[in-house]
Amino acid sequence: MRGFRVFAAVLVILCLSIGVASAAETIKIGMLAPLTGFAAADGASALNSVKIAVDQVNGQGGVLGKKIQLIVYDDRADAKEAVALAYKLIEQDKIAAFVAGSYSLPTRAVAPIFQEEKIPLVAAYAIHPDVTKAGEYCFRNGFLGTVEGKAAAYTAHKLLNAKTVALLTSDNDFGRTLVEGFKMYQAKYGKDMKIVYEQAYPFSEKDFKPYLSKIKEANPDVIFASGYYFQTGPLLKQARELGIKSKILGEEGADSPKLAEIAGEAAEGFYIVTNFDRDDPRPVVQNFLKEYRKRYKIEPDMVGASAYDAFMIIVDAMRKTKTYSNPTAIRMAISKTTNFDGLTGIIKGFTHIGEVVKPVQVQVVKNGLFRRFGVVDDPELIRP
Amino acid sequence: MQLFLEQMLNGIAIGAIYAMITLGLALVYGILRILHVAHAAVYTVGAYIGLAIFSATHSILLSAAGAMVFCAGLGFLIERFVYFPLLKYPPYVPLIGSIACLLAIEELCRLAAGPYILSFPAQLPFPSFTVGGIVISSTLTAVYCISAGVLALLWFITTRTELGLAMRATSQDMAIASSMGINSHRIISLTFMIGSAVAAIAGILVGIYYNQVYPSMGAVPAYKTLALIVVGGLGSVPGAVLASILLGVGETLLIGYAGIPLPRDALAFIAMIAVLLWRPQGLLGGRG
Repeated sequence: MRGFRVFAAVLVILCLSIGVASAAETIKIGMLAPLTGFAAADGASALNSVKIAVDQVNGQGGVLGKKIQLIVYDDRADAKEAVALAYKLIEQDKIAAFVAGSYSLPTRAVAPIFQEEKIPLVAAYAIHPDVTKAGEYCFRNGFLGTVEGKAAAYTAHKLLNAKTVALLTSDNDFGRTLVEGFKMYQAKYGKDMKIVYEQAYPFSEKDFKPYLSKIKEANPDVIFASGYYFQTGPLLKQARELGIKSKILGEEGADSPKLAEIAGEAAEGFYIVTNFDRDDPRPVVQNFLKEYRKRYKIEPDMVGASAYDAFMIIVDAMRKTKTYSNPTAIRMAISKTTNFDGLTGIIKGFTHIGEVVKPVQVQVVKNGLFRRFGVVDDPELIRP
Repeated sequence: MQLFLEQMLNGIAIGAIYAMITLGLALVYGILRILHVAHAAVYTVGAYIGLAIFSATHSILLSAAGAMVFCAGLGFLIERFVYFPLLKYPPYVPLIGSIACLLAIEELCRLAAGPYILSFPAQLPFPSFTVGGIVISSTLTAVYCISAGVLALLWFITTRTELGLAMRATSQDMAIASSMGINSHRIISLTFMIGSAVAAIAGILVGIYYNQVYPSMGAVPAYKTLALIVVGGLGSVPGAVLASILLGVGETLLIGYAGIPLPRDALAFIAMIAVLLWRPQGLLGGRG
């Protein structure tokens, strides 16, 4: 009975405090993420991570004495849906800034709208170049395909000492620009690394054995296999089944706890270039990992980490300018970000187009988990 | 040569998997003249039920048996409550019903199991071989053995048993078969149950082969199998099997040697158009 009374008292206090918090004015930050549909796993990861960020910020007393209120809608990774919801965020919710926690297609569609309304937008992991080209209010915290492609080539060349490589890419925008970046590096620095096989595979491919059989014959030191975890996962499994011994290198699309689940044993020793280092000792990383694992009982991924940073970059800009209602000042502050202590690494800043400059992380799967393998931080390579 | 042999081995395995999915469709078309698009949904359900039982018991045999029984039941229900009441209408009406079934079952899978790709971490108890540098993995061996077993069993049932005789009689002329004392509706139900049970095996096999089970896994097979039964000859079971294996090999060789990122699914339809132009009755279709 006594336990119940204590419980009831706690409940009353909790209700009161929530009542007080919502009565006071809050700072509204909007977000779109694919919470249902084919991309739901990424949407959940982005939202889970941003929720942690919101709680951390509000736990420290919020921004300028006010609590942050996150307003999230589900765009189902659909451009039409996203445009309608963007207007809702602007007209009805009157948000101060926007976290784009969705794919390229919807993010490209909403970027010009936020630009028009002069509301700062930070894209978490959408990779299409058009997102930041919408204007000076649009920023990106993820890597462009060419940057990540160059980093992948550097990883193959310098960290894995490849003399021969095979390129097997998903036939979409990102896959194509990754290869472009890879070849830019190879032409400039990697003359002693030969590309012995190059092939794009259709996005819906599930059976990679026809490609892998040919790669096996070419027997390269490294296979750069771009694609999402649901492509790279089966690819790894099939490559090892065929007896291919080459090192296999992927990219951020494969950065998901689902990868090791799908590929099983074959995931061991698989490298990726990505936007998140789990073994970074900085407290921002380790606290996040601890909290994420505790709350959601799964491993966080690069999508979530990028969304966390997109949100934090906005909060940081608000704190620096001491305003949450002046979008021009917030935009200026974001563009002047330097050496920001981010979850996805030390953000050196943004280019004039709004592209992030920061090191690219190289991870390797050990015992089913992504662990640190190396970092690509040569300014020549990571500057878009 | 070694590369070519490896490509062939893969192609035949892919073809064998197509054959197992297409079989049910060919059986149903042979007997009811219905394009049973919802067959792909039965295959998806087979994979999910198989995975659920496997997660609970860790026995692949129980999982296969349970999924086969469940899917046989599902096939029976679809026939009884969707096709049977619609048989008196023109053929496009049952087809629309079938598409509705496919979408509804797909969405039910999504609601029940979530939109995520689930992994099917079963190890099939088959050996792997290395012959002259060519690796035949245990999953490949499993696909060969299981599909060969299923095909042999079906061949036996349709050609060497009284049930098979009744099935063939019903498919040739339902009215006369009925007047000869064959309970043709029971035969139709049995045909659906057999086809659906095979689809369950195919679902589990694909789930393990690619280690992925997801709600829309039936979307591509739903239309690809239609092309395959046209290529094989509508209603011809051996034709469907032959077309499936040819397509599996053709796709693999084309991807392996042509070096263009052509979606492999396009090839089935190119083959279908070619067959319709030059041999409208299909590879092994007699009735035209």
